[in-house]
Amino acid sequence: MAGRLTHAQRRAFLFGLREATAALVAVATWGFVTGIAMVQSGLSESMATLMTLMVYAGSAQLTALPLIAAHAPLWLIFAAGTIVNMRFVIFGAALHPYFRHLSWRRRLVLGLLTGDIVFVLFMARFAGSRRIGTVQQLWYYLGIAAPGWLVWNVFSLLGIYAGGLIPASWSLDYAAVLALLAVIIPLVKSRPMVMCLIVASAVAWLAQALPLRLGLLAAVIAGVLAGVLGEMVERRRNSSPGAH
Amino acid sequence: MGTGFDTYLLGAIVLLTVCSILTRCTYLLFGDRFPLSESVRSALRFAPVAALAAIVVPELFPLEGGSAVVFNPRALAALAAVLMFWRTRSTLSVILGGMVAFWLIDGLLGMVA
Repeated sequence: MAGRLTHAQRRAFLFGLREATAALVAVATWGFVTGIAMVQSGLSESMATLMTLMVYAGSAQLTALPLIAAHAPLWLIFAAGTIVNMRFVIFGAALHPYFRHLSWRRRLVLGLLTGDIVFVLFMARFAGSRRIGTVQQLWYYLGIAAPGWLVWNVFSLLGIYAGGLIPASWSLDYAAVLALLAVIIPLVKSRPMVMCLIVASAVAWLAQALPLRLGLLAAVIAGVLAGVLGEMVERRRNSSPGAH
Repeated sequence: MGTGFDTYLLGAIVLLTVCSILTRCTYLLFGDRFPLSESVRSALRFAPVAALAAIVVPELFPLEGGSAVVFNPRALAALAAVLMFWRTRSTLSVILGGMVAFWLIDGLLGMVA
């Protein structure tokens, strides 16, 4: 397979992989922590393995675990999972123009492989591109998404089968939070991004009390709107006379 | 754990899988039928930062606990981690530095309490 890749494909793949190395630390930590959480909530090791490989959505899994432990009705678990995953619909809408020229089978695979980190890094690199749907974009995406899938599942399995070796007092789940923090900070470079971050954070904090983790979706929508608003303000300021 | 629980658990896993596939793939597969305007598309550039913030904030600042919440060890150590990033620009230093800060602050608060 690797032998059939063109030079451009391989280069883009490795470029994506290189840019993803730091974020893959975050993926590994979250995967590990999610693996531990599944076993701790009472899932057998084989059921936890099945869940990891099939669902591949950490936030949805972590949301569903207490519901499953409490024997909540299945429709509620489905609803909670859908709401937590709703941001993937937004991600899909943003990614679609880059991959619309591909066959549906390929688009299906790209969709299944997507994740927060993939989307974040891809958009940071290509959101402003004039040319859309290039070979470079596809293979850059794969350079993050494929290792991301592998790292997540390997570390999830490690968490399931060897998580007990790590003492709870180390608070490894906090390392997962820090790892995501390290992904966010470099992205916040412009004033509209700062607005987006502040509003999304404020809404996420206030909306924690909402059921089914609706706060996650609310924060994403509010953050996007704040970013757009910040952009409009900035544009007006730049175009007004006397601006430098 | 009876077989009843296993069927229930399998059902939950299958439903969550369906929900993963639907949310991840629907737009990529059928997006041509729901074209987005250029302005909406450009607005989605803000989605990554908003989504990550939405995941991180409740972990750092849980609502329960009243006013003590802002000065919890997790939030304080996160502040140290952000400062660390400004100085070093390295992801690893954010994670390691933040963890060390967390252990120190948590230990100190434990001694005071």
